[in-house]
Amino acid sequence: MRHQIKSDDLRAPEMAEAIEKCVHCGFCLAACPTYKLLGEEMDSPRGRIYLMKGVLEDRIEADEAQPFIDRCLGCMACVPACPSGVAYGDLLVSYRTLQEQSRQRPLMDGVARRLIIETLPYPRRFRLAMKSGKIGRMLQPFLPEAFASMLNMLPDKLPPPSPLPPILPAQGERRGKVALLSGCVQQALAPQINLAAARVLSANGVEVHIPAGQSCCGSILLHIGAESEARQIARRNFPLMPDDIDAIITTAAGCGSGMKDYELLFKGQTDLHKASDFSSKVKDFSAYLAGLGLREPRGFAAERAVAYQDACHLLHAQGLQSEPRSLLNQVPNLRLVDIPDAGICCGSAGTYNLDQPAIAEELGGQKAGAILAAGPDTVVSGNIGCITQIRKHLDLQGKNLPVMHIAELLWAAYQS
Amino acid sequence: MNRSFFEALRSIYPDDRLLTRDVELLPYESDALTAFQTKPGAVALPIDEEEIIDTVRLCHRMKVPFVARGSGTSLSGGSLPIADGLMIGLNRLNRIKKIDPEQRIAVVEPGVINLHITEAVRQYGLYYAPDPSSQSICTIGGNIAFNSGGAHCLKYGMTSNHVLGMKVVLADGVVTQFGSESIEGVGIGPDLVGLFVGSEGLFGIALEITLRLMPTPQLYRTVMAAYDNLGRAGDAVSMVVASGLLPGAMEIMDRLAIKAAEASVGAGYPLDAEALLIVELEGEALQVEAEFAELRGVIEESGAFEIREAKDEDERARIWQGRKSAFSAVGRLSPDYIVQDGVVPRSRLGEALVKIGELKAQYQLDVANVFHAGDGNLHPLILYNGREPGALEKAEALAGEILAMCVDLGGSITGEHGVGMEKREYLPTMFSPVEMEIMRDLRRAIDPEEIANRGKMFPSGEAPALQMRGMHPLERQGVISRE
Amino acid sequence: MTGDVLDSVAELQAFVKGHRRIHVVGKRSKTALHQVEADVALADLSGMTGITEYQPQEYTLTVLAGTGLSEIQAALHEEGQYLPFDPLLPDHGSIGGAVACNLSGSRRHRYGGIRDFILGASVVDGLGRTFRVGGKVVKNAAGFDLSKFLVGSLGQYAIMTELTFKVFPDAPVFQGLRLQYESLDDALNAVFRCNRSTQELDLLDFAPWERGWSLMAGLAGFQDTLPQRAKQFVAMMREETALLDATEVEGDGSLRDPLAGLTGDFLVKVVISPRQIAGFDARVRDIGRRYSAGGNSAWLATDDIGALKKILEAEQLPGLVLRGSVDCPLIGKSPENLLAARVKQVLDPHNKLV
Repeated sequence: MRHQIKSDDLRAPEMAEAIEKCVHCGFCLAACPTYKLLGEEMDSPRGRIYLMKGVLEDRIEADEAQPFIDRCLGCMACVPACPSGVAYGDLLVSYRTLQEQSRQRPLMDGVARRLIIETLPYPRRFRLAMKSGKIGRMLQPFLPEAFASMLNMLPDKLPPPSPLPPILPAQGERRGKVALLSGCVQQALAPQINLAAARVLSANGVEVHIPAGQSCCGSILLHIGAESEARQIARRNFPLMPDDIDAIITTAAGCGSGMKDYELLFKGQTDLHKASDFSSKVKDFSAYLAGLGLREPRGFAAERAVAYQDACHLLHAQGLQSEPRSLLNQVPNLRLVDIPDAGICCGSAGTYNLDQPAIAEELGGQKAGAILAAGPDTVVSGNIGCITQIRKHLDLQGKNLPVMHIAELLWAAYQS
Repeated sequence: MNRSFFEALRSIYPDDRLLTRDVELLPYESDALTAFQTKPGAVALPIDEEEIIDTVRLCHRMKVPFVARGSGTSLSGGSLPIADGLMIGLNRLNRIKKIDPEQRIAVVEPGVINLHITEAVRQYGLYYAPDPSSQSICTIGGNIAFNSGGAHCLKYGMTSNHVLGMKVVLADGVVTQFGSESIEGVGIGPDLVGLFVGSEGLFGIALEITLRLMPTPQLYRTVMAAYDNLGRAGDAVSMVVASGLLPGAMEIMDRLAIKAAEASVGAGYPLDAEALLIVELEGEALQVEAEFAELRGVIEESGAFEIREAKDEDERARIWQGRKSAFSAVGRLSPDYIVQDGVVPRSRLGEALVKIGELKAQYQLDVANVFHAGDGNLHPLILYNGREPGALEKAEALAGEILAMCVDLGGSITGEHGVGMEKREYLPTMFSPVEMEIMRDLRRAIDPEEIANRGKMFPSGEAPALQMRGMHPLERQGVISRE
Repeated sequence: MTGDVLDSVAELQAFVKGHRRIHVVGKRSKTALHQVEADVALADLSGMTGITEYQPQEYTLTVLAGTGLSEIQAALHEEGQYLPFDPLLPDHGSIGGAVACNLSGSRRHRYGGIRDFILGASVVDGLGRTFRVGGKVVKNAAGFDLSKFLVGSLGQYAIMTELTFKVFPDAPVFQGLRLQYESLDDALNAVFRCNRSTQELDLLDFAPWERGWSLMAGLAGFQDTLPQRAKQFVAMMREETALLDATEVEGDGSLRDPLAGLTGDFLVKVVISPRQIAGFDARVRDIGRRYSAGGNSAWLATDDIGALKKILEAEQLPGLVLRGSVDCPLIGKSPENLLAARVKQVLDPHNKLV
């Protein structure tokens, strides 16, 4: 599409390019969960692009368009659906950052924003904050989706801190060496995920380094438009990673896709090359393991029917579809069942749940229904946000299935 | 649209299904032809046929023009809104009301998405045959308005051939029904289904549609052949036809289209080919295997430098995904393009391609060619950069010459996209003044106020024109715009 | 009953302009359609014959409306092609009549009826204007598709003078099969079973036979695969339907002609859907009948048209009388006339064409 966007902002060229590439064909509509639900152009990727274009061209006010932009789940399902190659994710992040810089956000007052920036990226501070006065809950309305959903994991109390060892040696023949990213708040909320991931890797002959002093990857801050803070915090991890590693492993989908976008975040910065070097090494747990080739686990004594729910930030943002499934398929006595429309977002909770409760509820309910239709006895995903949302909606439908991270299930398969 | 019209609309629609704010209207101002943009006066989102009927009657009474819209994927600007008119968004009428696998029929609402029908009936070994490239999102209502086709039209026809019956509201509010659940459709008496399908929304709105379903072929065999020039690929098509085979699809893409599609989906197309021919056979396994052996012989004789057969369903799906993404994928090569949809007699394909090549050189514009070779249906995509002054006009002039060529060769200006907004000035090149007059009279006999999709199909006079010479007065006033 | 034989479009135009009420005839193979009042002038198109354009490579054929079906079929056969809608009365009728009455034979089951293969037409309307509708290429989406509208229009909206069709390569070999069932229910279930299968049948008709019902199926294809396909089909039917016996039929036999063996003063076509057959058939047990195209149309022969008319009215089924003397050939459920009347108003505002 042609546009009349002024290019005085550093981000405008990216936005202009994405908008130019869009031909308004509508192929993205079929992939978009909010369009499927609401059936209005404004709530489709094509419509949002059109609205962003309208704002950037000064045809409409940003405030007017904002509710529709906010309603975007950021699931990125439209990206692989787009034949023209519109970088919708880049457009959305750039647009949100631009708007964040210029708009007054009534919801996000200075104090709350400061609290998030100062607390959430640091597991230890976060633990303290949670303990003292449930600050987390107060913050919840201001948090982006994936992050706040983690808070939902813990209604009352945090699990005991379980520090990860600095190094887990490779078992058997050494096949690789990686660093595990553990700076995320997920570590405070569900420490068993990273631990399981490290153990599975180790059992597969991978030497796992878990450098101390890691901080959040910054993706979370970027989501609330705190671009410079995001950069600041991301930088802290750069020197911590050993040089001779094959990959930096993450077990959180949103972090993975966020770190893969460091080039955009660090554009024009002096340490761009460091960021892109880091970024190029980032791999999701399942992608790395599938690439390495799984050492066959013992498997389960009795057959388990496992449904794998794609996390949007793995499937759409990172293109990981066959990798996790191939891992699961190699587990003896594990039968993989297909969830109809597995590529549709589960409406993962968090602020989305709070800002757009109706949509999030609807998507969550539909997802739980689809999962149950597949008839699994265990549900697996690669992202804590999805796990939380699915667990909640299965509970609501009175079905108490175990819902876990793929690393947890694989570790169970090695142990049994 | 005056206040009393709005008030009446509000008595039909709750606030959340009547869009009137700028921010809500803006995204509706174009369909898949962004060269035109018109912001509608309002968008109504009915959820059942009673609301549609009430709305059409209201529009008729108050002489307010309306445009029915499904997913807005028209490539001819067929669902372009009318300034100060009502847009009726039908995508919420998306129920499949009945599936009868033993009679091989389905009854659907107009907002049902084409592919959803196939998904719903697959379990019975059936599918809905017309497969426009946008089938994952385009609606049956839109398919009916424009008699949409697809890559697999040669054998089983276009939308019109798959509609057995319908209930419609005519533009003056009269509700009527024709056709049946029989495969004969109307069967006795004039075939009104055939007349209504392809009427570009000018007669009214389809409310309920009975569709015929086809048995899913037991086997598909798909072959890709690469050629070092387009003419040779065209000759290969003639050879296939001469052999007496009846493929389900025969498609050709040229170098530029191959490049775009390959970048988009990684279908494994040979990038060094000047032309790629895709031929697909379908049907009973035994028959298809026998036919495929024959087809292989024909293709081997046709001078292809590379021949590849789809080994499995995945590979076949990728080949088609590449083909179906080709139009939009051209967005990767150029910020703007015009998709054409001309038809020439198949035996004159070669001639047409040579001529397009000459025009391309003369206008110094890139043209990517994708076509349904079996039907002689060309889709030249004319690439231009709208930011360059005069580029659009140049591209439109080239498009016009291609259409004129199609008519000269005894073909048509549109095979499946419809005339819409885009080609309405060219309709008289295909039809005589008497024929034009009769079609106009027919429109007025059905829609005396000319409110249904006003401004489409017929050349200017009813509404703002796309004309090839300068700006339309309404454009100059800023009422309508095109990029 | 004689009429003016009109050899050219110009003559026809003059004829239309010069008369108040006009009725078109071709080869007059369908007598019931020509029972018109004395003041109606007959426009005889049987002289407008000939193939105007036939390009096997294009899969298109253009013929004058009075051309005999047998002539067309012979020309196509030479090129290994055929009219997939399988016109009825191939030995007697004209192509214009086949289109005007929408009469397809049993092989329409494979690819579709006349509406699916008509591409365009030249016509003279009730005002004497001549013009073309549709196109001459296999695919065309420009303008209103009046060519399909003409199918079944009984010459009451415009008079067709020339017609263009899509044609297909014909299969080299045809294999007919006769499958016997004890009851209509069994035969219907067999039809439903066929509809749920992926076997591509060229024809699928059924009719009472001896004491039970006979299902007539046809397969077309290559010589070397056809026997095996037929075997597969029979095996499926034996396994999954209440099949009593199956026999192969030599050549075309009577399988392709849905009217074979139907005797009675009146011959009627009825449009029906498979699910309506059981109820309908219970009321027409004494009438000769055959259900065609997988039970999507019925051919009935009776001496008592009044009784059949009542049945069709009660069952809300449309019927067209082809042979016999009737006031109006349309019986049973009337065709839609809200939209059709608008077309009439444009093409024949003075109601000349009857």
